[in-house]
Amino acid sequence: MNTTDLKRGQKAIVRNIGSGRGVERKMFEMGIRPGIEIELLEIHPFKGPLLFQVGQSRVVLGRNLAASVEVEPIQET
Amino acid sequence: MKMVLVGNPNVGKSSVLNVLTGSRLFASNYPGTSTEIAAARLELDGTEIRFYDTPGVYSIYSNNEGSNLTRELLEKEAIDIIINIVDASNLERNLVLSYELLDLGYPLLVVLNQVDRAREIGMDIDVFKLSSLLNSPVIAFSASTGEGVDEFQAFLRDTASMKGKNAGSNPAESLNVRRIRLDESCDCSGNCGRCSIVVEECTTNLDLQRAERARATAQTVTIPTAQAASGYLQNIRYLVDRPVAGTLVLLILAYLALVALSKFISMCEGPIANLLEPVSEILHGFILSIMPPGFVATVLAKAIPEGLIIPFTIIMPAMLMVSLLMALLEDTGLLPRYSVALERLGNFFGVSGQAVIPLSLGFGCRTPAVMATRVLPNDTQRFIVITLLSIVIPCAATVGVLVMISAKFNASLAVIVSTMLIVMLLLGLILSRLSPQEDAFIYELPPLRVPQAKNVWNKIKLRFSGFFTEVLPLLLIMSIAIRALIESNLLEVFQGMESITRLLFGIPAEAFVAVLITIFQRYLAPLVLLNLSLTSREATIALSMIALSLPCLPVMVVTVRELGFKSLFKILGMGFITSFAVGMSLNMILPV
Ligand SMILES: Nc1nc2c(ncn2[C@@H]2O[C@H](COP(=O)(O)OP(=O)(O)OP(=O)(O)O)[C@@H](O)[C@H]2O)c(=O)[nH]1
Ligand SMILES: [Mg+2]
Repeated sequence: MNTTDLKRGQKAIVRNIGSGRGVERKMFEMGIRPGIEIELLEIHPFKGPLLFQVGQSRVVLGRNLAASVEVEPIQET
Repeated sequence: MKMVLVGNPNVGKSSVLNVLTGSRLFASNYPGTSTEIAAARLELDGTEIRFYDTPGVYSIYSNNEGSNLTRELLEKEAIDIIINIVDASNLERNLVLSYELLDLGYPLLVVLNQVDRAREIGMDIDVFKLSSLLNSPVIAFSASTGEGVDEFQAFLRDTASMKGKNAGSNPAESLNVRRIRLDESCDCSGNCGRCSIVVEECTTNLDLQRAERARATAQTVTIPTAQAASGYLQNIRYLVDRPVAGTLVLLILAYLALVALSKFISMCEGPIANLLEPVSEILHGFILSIMPPGFVATVLAKAIPEGLIIPFTIIMPAMLMVSLLMALLEDTGLLPRYSVALERLGNFFGVSGQAVIPLSLGFGCRTPAVMATRVLPNDTQRFIVITLLSIVIPCAATVGVLVMISAKFNASLAVIVSTMLIVMLLLGLILSRLSPQEDAFIYELPPLRVPQAKNVWNKIKLRFSGFFTEVLPLLLIMSIAIRALIESNLLEVFQGMESITRLLFGIPAEAFVAVLITIFQRYLAPLVLLNLSLTSREATIALSMIALSLPCLPVMVVTVRELGFKSLFKILGMGFITSFAVGMSLNMILPV
């Protein structure tokens, strides 16, 4: 699954970042890379952007970019 | 000695330099404030130290304007030390860049900025441990509270005296600094075995290793303190970051700002005019008494007082208020939140949500706004935004002029504003065809902060200085030129065009001349208009044509620098067409 399938407030581990368009590198620079934990904070309506907590920073991704980030949700215990 | 400040965006590079050297660089709470290399100098015990401020970069290898400029600077100048400004409250991500710089072989001073904020959100950092792990000096610092300034200066003194001892040696050579090499083939996930690049040489693999080192180091040196109680800023942030409620709050704030602006302008006009009245009468009499009577004396005696009144009564309050509002918007961290809220709308125009930042900077002055388009991902988007800036967005001085003139002639501000909005929409729609639908929005949101009075004041002064260096002299000169035109009856020459301008635009020939004068500076045109007698319909049309016309000269110059002559000519052509089309359409639509 990818980050657009997450629910608001859900945490997940990044597994893979779909390649292409050179944005992979940019995501990496923002701290989004395989193995990292991210949390989906907000979902903007009308296919708007998603807001994530990545480490100490808050990163906004457009919907298409967010869809290219494959994640594995962390099971709530 | 030469030192370069390098660091992630929005960590406080420019603020640190301002505290250290007393320089007055723009510092704002959003990534991408500095777009160019800036220099500042400091004299310590007779040694001159030259500092360079750079645009924020996530990685020295990034493929963007900021990284390119920084790399160029590092290769061109013999740099003694890189001062790596690190955000103490976001250590892990910031350290990736520190490791890049260390791997390049540069001597590093790590300045842990924003330690005040790090403590606020509940973490302490073991400076000694960090220093030994990085094998470089580390200073805990805060540009807001002044913590660490003494230690920083002591470090600079030591370095300067060391350098004095082995003078003559070229640091870059003796230190075996590696040249920065960009690998074109780095767009892979690394270590995949599908290409022939040796693993150790594969940029992405090295990147991943650095990221791991940064993570390990950050974990080792961070000491969580008692969790700080969630402050009110946290609550506000929670609200403004909500998709619907937050957008609503942002829109209400924008509306309140506009109301404050127009209230302030109309409030100031009367009192300032009253204050200036005796001054201009004295000036008028004084000029007439010292000059031999004649054409020149008449022109100057009328033009100089006029040329002073307009800037002081209308443009000055507008520039002051806009500077204040923009400083607040920038320093709180609300500005980039508009980009997120308006991202969908931006896509409609064919630009990313980030275009909000240059577009709103344009309300202050459009010249720096054109520079700020560098945050946009490609040249097509930059062209679209620069075109919108040039043709549609009114700068502070223009806003003042529009409000004041439309009041004088009872022109309909509502018609003018809606015309501007419609033109913006139409232009955007047409221009968006240029940009293939590519939704690559990726942006880091800054924390919300309480604006610092000192920084806000600094920026008001910086933005307002243009009033004395640019607005006032230009208006005085143009006022004299236009007065001379009127007094010499030269304007009558244009009377021949009257029938044409009436037919096409429904305005008298002189008003059309005013529109043409906007080529120099949009806010000058009213100088001609105020001397005419126009009906409210005529004034509405003329003002709309002026509001939607050409970029001013300074904007043209930066546009050429940023995008080249070809783009400028396209923008000028579109400006003419827009202005004329607006005049003709309004002439057809508006009831006589
Ligand atoms: N609390 C706190 N805020 C700081 C400190 N230093 C800078 N800031 C704030 O951080 C924001 C960014 O500061 P800048 O100096 O513009 O940062 P920069 O690194 O030059 O940013 P770019 O030019 O965009 O890369 C501003 O709002 C500053 O007021 C600090 O030590 N503590
Ligand atoms: Mg800066």
